[in-house]
Amino acid sequence: MIDLVNVSRLYHRGADEIHALERVSLHVPRQRFVALMGPSGSGKSTLLNVLAGLDRPNSGEVTVAGQRLNEMSEDELAAFRAHTVGFVFQFFNLIPVLNAVENVELPLLLTHLSRAERRQRAETALRVVGLADRADHRPRELSGGEQQRVAIARSIVTDAELIVADEPTGDLDAKNAEEILSLLQTLKRDFGKTVVIVTHDPRAEKWVDEVIHLDKGVLLETRPGGAARGGAA
Amino acid sequence: MALPLSYSWRSMLARGTRTAFTVAVIALVVIATTLFWSLIGSLKRTLVSSGSPHNLVVMRKGATNDGSSQLSLDAYQTIRFFEGIARDSAGNPLVSPELVVQPFFHTAGGTRENVLVRGVEPVALEVHDEVKISEGRMIHPSSGEAVVGRIVSKRYKGASLGSELRFGNANWKVVGILDAGGSSFESEVWVDARELANNAKRPLPYSGFRIRVAPDADMDALARRIADDPRWALEATREIDYYKQLSSTANTLYIIVAGLAVLAGIGAIFGATNNMYAAVQARTSEIGTLRALGFSRGAILSAFLAESVMTAAFAFAIGAAISWLLAIAISAALGGIGFASQTFTTNVVVLRVAPQDLFMPLALSVLIGVFGGLAPAAAAARLRPVDALRKA
Amino acid sequence: MKYLPLVWRNLGRNPLRSLLTAAAIALAIALVCILRTMPAGMDAILASAAANTRISTHNEAGIVYSMPYAYLAKVRAVPGVVAAISWNWFGGAIDITKGVEFPNFAVDPDGIAEVYADWGLDPKVFEDFRKYRDAALVGHITLEKHRWKVGDVVTLQSTVFPVSLSFRIVGAVPTSTPAFYFQREYLAQALAAAGVTFDTTGMIWSRVDDPDRVGPVMRQIDEMFRNSEAITATETEKSFIGNFFSGLKQLVTIIQIVAALVTLCIVFIAANTASMSIRERVGEIAILKAIGFRKQTIFSTLLAEAGLLALVAGIAGAATAFGLLKALRVFASGAGPQLGPLTAFVVSYTILVQAIFISFFIGILSGWVPALGASRRSVAQTLREVF
Repeated sequence: MIDLVNVSRLYHRGADEIHALERVSLHVPRQRFVALMGPSGSGKSTLLNVLAGLDRPNSGEVTVAGQRLNEMSEDELAAFRAHTVGFVFQFFNLIPVLNAVENVELPLLLTHLSRAERRQRAETALRVVGLADRADHRPRELSGGEQQRVAIARSIVTDAELIVADEPTGDLDAKNAEEILSLLQTLKRDFGKTVVIVTHDPRAEKWVDEVIHLDKGVLLETRPGGAARGGAA
Repeated sequence: MALPLSYSWRSMLARGTRTAFTVAVIALVVIATTLFWSLIGSLKRTLVSSGSPHNLVVMRKGATNDGSSQLSLDAYQTIRFFEGIARDSAGNPLVSPELVVQPFFHTAGGTRENVLVRGVEPVALEVHDEVKISEGRMIHPSSGEAVVGRIVSKRYKGASLGSELRFGNANWKVVGILDAGGSSFESEVWVDARELANNAKRPLPYSGFRIRVAPDADMDALARRIADDPRWALEATREIDYYKQLSSTANTLYIIVAGLAVLAGIGAIFGATNNMYAAVQARTSEIGTLRALGFSRGAILSAFLAESVMTAAFAFAIGAAISWLLAIAISAALGGIGFASQTFTTNVVVLRVAPQDLFMPLALSVLIGVFGGLAPAAAAARLRPVDALRKA
Repeated sequence: MKYLPLVWRNLGRNPLRSLLTAAAIALAIALVCILRTMPAGMDAILASAAANTRISTHNEAGIVYSMPYAYLAKVRAVPGVVAAISWNWFGGAIDITKGVEFPNFAVDPDGIAEVYADWGLDPKVFEDFRKYRDAALVGHITLEKHRWKVGDVVTLQSTVFPVSLSFRIVGAVPTSTPAFYFQREYLAQALAAAGVTFDTTGMIWSRVDDPDRVGPVMRQIDEMFRNSEAITATETEKSFIGNFFSGLKQLVTIIQIVAALVTLCIVFIAANTASMSIRERVGEIAILKAIGFRKQTIFSTLLAEAGLLALVAGIAGAATAFGLLKALRVFASGAGPQLGPLTAFVVSYTILVQAIFISFFIGILSGWVPALGASRRSVAQTLREVF
């Protein structure tokens, strides 16, 4: 599903040069739940951005779902993301002036579906995450956990193959965090998605198939996660 | 305990772009208002500065201006010997009989304007003592000569010193320039009264006259005597009152401009309020900190209000400076603004921003600052320290 | 457009700010409308005079200089002149202490119907004007101002002639002229009784049969009197009125400068709000781009937001101007000669509609840079900075 070969990413912050990724090679097969972990500044978020088509590497090859991302233009990457990737972020996930179902509908505006079809798909997605009864609530009327679930609903509404989440449980308490991780695992198991998350949270280990460790832009090790060992299911 | 003014001043400068936008809006309102206000002010100053406090204007009863008056010769001959009229060193009464005609003149740009041409006798310069010949000399009678006001010499074709000026289908030699301290006389041309009467085919050489009242005489009594005389239907007005009345129609203009300025001001208030609300929003945690430290609600209110007023005052200063320069530039480019006066002649006004013209724009700016900042400042003051800190 | 709900909702994100911005822009637009209608009153009068074939003849020295009345017969005889009448300024006042409140003229009844055919008056009115020696035709503006009606008897005391005359109003002139016209012969008889000779005229107005002949006819008239004692200057009515208003041109320039300054104001108000509201949403915009929205789409929706707000504000402003203009017309009618037709404050629908478009355009213009900047921000960089 995901193939990175010798990917490097370097950017400038002020006068400094940050080597975010140093010749990282990585392979993630389909229908896997993977966690990218590492200390602050390890490059895990940059890695996520690169494989999601949000950022282009300075060198190396990136192939996702059979498409070579490093050769694409900005518009092609946008189209790629629209069709192939679903996003869940730590903050600012939802547009505050839209209610839950409208937020979930957002990616469908990029398609040619009719209004009725869009609405129907969005409601279905909300049902999957268990928030069908909150469809007309605005984000400020939802708890942190509920907001993340709406974001997850949005990420699956276009039938994207790849779901990426950057610190999805970062702002949540223990109970909500477990719910979100469980939901993400469901997406992989029951919906056949490939899910890649970036997280600090050690609790995530027991939910994922594989844990990839990074530090200072270098891939240190890959080891199986709790789910692969037959942990929490 | 109040917050120091430097807090407000520095906060204002901290968000440079946002403040700059608000300053621009208020400054533009100030410039627009000042330009209009000083336009009318310049007009009024020109008219009001005309006229001597010692003179009376005598015209036909009911003539609102000396351009529409007529006068019989014997009225002039009789009245000039009335008591209370000043005399010159030779004992001649200081009474200036005059004829007002409004011929076409052409500006350098080809525009046609009516100009007030005053037919006078040599005594005119003594009666109108604020009018002086600054260059050249006064006209000689029956010589086809003219003296022109300073503004006239610059505005119309052939009106400069030494040139041949054509009006009334005749040529007149410009032999002198009149300087009248910026009053409306500088928009006039003076020629020999009888020559003018001949040229305009007037049966009578004079349409009215101006009287210099003797220093110790009762001016009002003299005016009453002239008006009450049953032989002729005349009226006499103090010269300064005569010009003040001509300028009174400008008062309606003041009200219209004031109204438009208020409209613009309200718009600017909305803009300023917008700006201040954003400031409050951005500094919620800062306010919380200040309140936690012990600054009272009143202190917060005053600080934000001060910031709003300072922004407006700063904008006023910039706007006033630009207006002042713009007025000079416009005057230079347009060469004086022509206003139609009640005499159907052109009163040329030089647009200048005088200090008194700035009072209204200043008041407007302060109001914008106060009302613009009031609601946001109150909102800031109402924040509870705990809420404010939590929002951070 | 399917993005319209999103655009509209975004304006409701901070309703107070949107309202304040809209109010500020609306007031500025109202001001621009009012300012622009000032010269419009003048232009309207000029435009209505543009097409007709009426020409004026006056003494070259000025209209306060007279011409011999005998000129009228000579002008009537010029080929191409359909009809001609003379005007003499009567300077009549209702109350001598108040002075002249409206222009009034002694004119020839023979020919007035042809010269002023565009007044659209019933031929019977012109007939009455000719029939009754003391008849008067009065501009409807003056009639309304003094609450006179057809059939009333009015007395005016002249400020230039030693006579006072009573007139019977036989008709109202529907155009914008406030003038009061009566028969020359009536004045001539009164002056004869007072022992005053009356053989001059101030102006001659003629109707030319063909627009193409206007130029040659005018030249011929002036040529006729070139060597006489009163040299004439003949010009079209439009030129005459234009010259009359020429003194106002500079004032109009200043009005236009002020209007431009106020328009600039609107740009700043709109730009301030656009940049504030867009800057707040940097993170959100990054998410939208992440999901797959192209930068052109983001740019358009942000721009549409600024444009929509300005458009709504423009409509509100034009409506406000409409109401204010009506009030100003009543108030400013006594503004005196300084401004003349500039204070007519006519409501011009063209100007109001233009103002709405200007407002929309300004909204787009001022939102351009912030929207462009926001749409172009790199998603990865934003995520790095914000998170």
